[in-house]
Amino acid sequence: MPIASRLALALLLPALLVNLAVFLVPMGNLALLSFQQASAGGALLGGFTFATWAKMFGDVFYAELVLDSVTIALSITALTLLCAYPIALFIYRTPERWKNLLIVACVSPLLVSAVVRTYGWMVILGDGGLVASILRGLGMVKPPRMVFNTTGVVIGLVEILMPYMILALIAGFGRLNASLEEAAASLGARPFTVFRRIVVPLTLPGIMLGCLLAFVLAVSSFITPKLLGGGRVFLLATEIYDQAIVTLNWPVAAALSLVVLVIFGIALLLYGRLSRAIA
Amino acid sequence: MSDAHLVLEALEKRFGAGPPAVAALSLAVQKGELLGLLGPSGCGKTTTLRMIGGLAEATAGRILVAGHDVTTLPPHKRDMGIVFQNYALFPHMDVAGNVAFGLEMRKQSRAEIAAKVERALAMVHLDGLGHRRPRELSGGQQQRVALARALVIEPSILLLDEPLSNLDAKLREEMRTEIRDIQKRLGITTIFVTHDQVEALAMCDRIAVMRAGSLEQLGTPFDIYESPATPFVADFVGRINRLDGARDGDGDILAGPLRLRAAKPGPAGRVTVMMRPHRLHIATDAIGPEWNSAAGTIRRATYVGDVLACEVDCAGAMLTVERHTHPGQPIPREGEAVNLAWRVSDTLAFDA
Repeated sequence: MPIASRLALALLLPALLVNLAVFLVPMGNLALLSFQQASAGGALLGGFTFATWAKMFGDVFYAELVLDSVTIALSITALTLLCAYPIALFIYRTPERWKNLLIVACVSPLLVSAVVRTYGWMVILGDGGLVASILRGLGMVKPPRMVFNTTGVVIGLVEILMPYMILALIAGFGRLNASLEEAAASLGARPFTVFRRIVVPLTLPGIMLGCLLAFVLAVSSFITPKLLGGGRVFLLATEIYDQAIVTLNWPVAAALSLVVLVIFGIALLLYGRLSRAIA
Repeated sequence: MSDAHLVLEALEKRFGAGPPAVAALSLAVQKGELLGLLGPSGCGKTTTLRMIGGLAEATAGRILVAGHDVTTLPPHKRDMGIVFQNYALFPHMDVAGNVAFGLEMRKQSRAEIAAKVERALAMVHLDGLGHRRPRELSGGQQQRVALARALVIEPSILLLDEPLSNLDAKLREEMRTEIRDIQKRLGITTIFVTHDQVEALAMCDRIAVMRAGSLEQLGTPFDIYESPATPFVADFVGRINRLDGARDGDGDILAGPLRLRAAKPGPAGRVTVMMRPHRLHIATDAIGPEWNSAAGTIRRATYVGDVLACEVDCAGAMLTVERHTHPGQPIPREGEAVNLAWRVSDTLAFDA
């Protein structure tokens, strides 16, 4: 083996070992856990059984749980993209000296913990909150409920995920160039056509990266669905928590965790395929 | 001019406070003419082009195409083909897709588009490369695609923004003649922005020399080179010797130690005298009355193959003389005493 390759291997080794120790081994443990039996009180009884997995595939509740989680996460991703895209485009087109300031402004919500921000949304979206008061002031007799349901979870998570989406979008906008838009306009394209035929295709790398990030974060988010969902919105992450901490059914929690891992795997696979397709 | 195809009337562009980028620019371009906008960077030539194309808004003045006011028309309604300095090819489309884009915007039929794209690519000698991506092409090929894309829509006016500046010297000359040939064949009114005086002289029917947002001189390449209106034009277009002096009552010009006569008479006062280096000769014979002369010493001789340039110190006045080389003629030594001579008609004098 040439020296350069050996050196590369040596340099990679620490990272490999760390990954092995803190990711692969626990994941293996989780997989084993999902095949164990547990008593009603939560004690692990050992042994090897397909009972947990059989229950997962047999019970409609779990299928719905996965489907709901993925659907809600996808909606959140789409809404986050919709809200973040104009902002990212604006920042990308801002002269260099203002750009950094705007990026910092966009990222600054991350300085406040998601817990605090979620509580903030509960106040704003609550029955006596800002939004409901405004709607009442505008003459709406019975404003829609916006907390302790899916609506609240979606609103809260969209806001929380927007900084990540904006950063990913800006990072992926490198191919966008003002003269390309001007060229399209000079060839007779109206502003919306320029956007559809030039801007969107050229920003696809950013869109895909942002969507992957937002989707993964949405599926795995726990605090916001827990608080804004008020226990009425059942998602994978909250269910895993309930199974592990409340019901003390660790095999089910482990199996659900692996389901999440599979969902992430599929998302990554799709991302890779699409990235190659547009390159 | 009644048959002018493109008319600029007192066009002005201001960016915030300060002097305008383009000030009170008026031009009339004939149908089928290739007009060059020539000037140093920051002279407003590109801004002018962008205003004509609708990519920049004019702060005052009017732009007329075939008699119609297009000043406030957005670019997609102006029907102008633009070739950008960086070509601005769409990287996510292949060559044929790039060329077809403008035709698709005009809602032409598939068959029509395919036929026109093929013809346009053949015109720029890119037959068979329609399925390549822009990044797979050389700089010269990308330039051709940009040209084909701008021309295939049969625009009323073609705008070229320094289209050759990213090409190497040899390719630049090749593209120069090619663009000019196509432009002549199609008879398309063209505005060509460049900072390269050789390019402008070689390609344009007329040249508008710009300086600090204003028109300095408008004329044919011959006019611009032989009869520059100002020292700036004389200096910018081609190499030139420059001496400051004063004209006396007899019309003679005293520039340092030299007593000269100029092509055109003028009033007494301070003048700037300019002569092209290649119009100066190292004199061997006695000179006639139609000649100016100066005695001096060669300070430096630079041999670049086809041309020999000598800097001659004429009692304090430095003059550069250039001549074509010849194997029979030796290269002068530094320190050699020489007599310089040049025609009075080649001596340009500008009142200061």
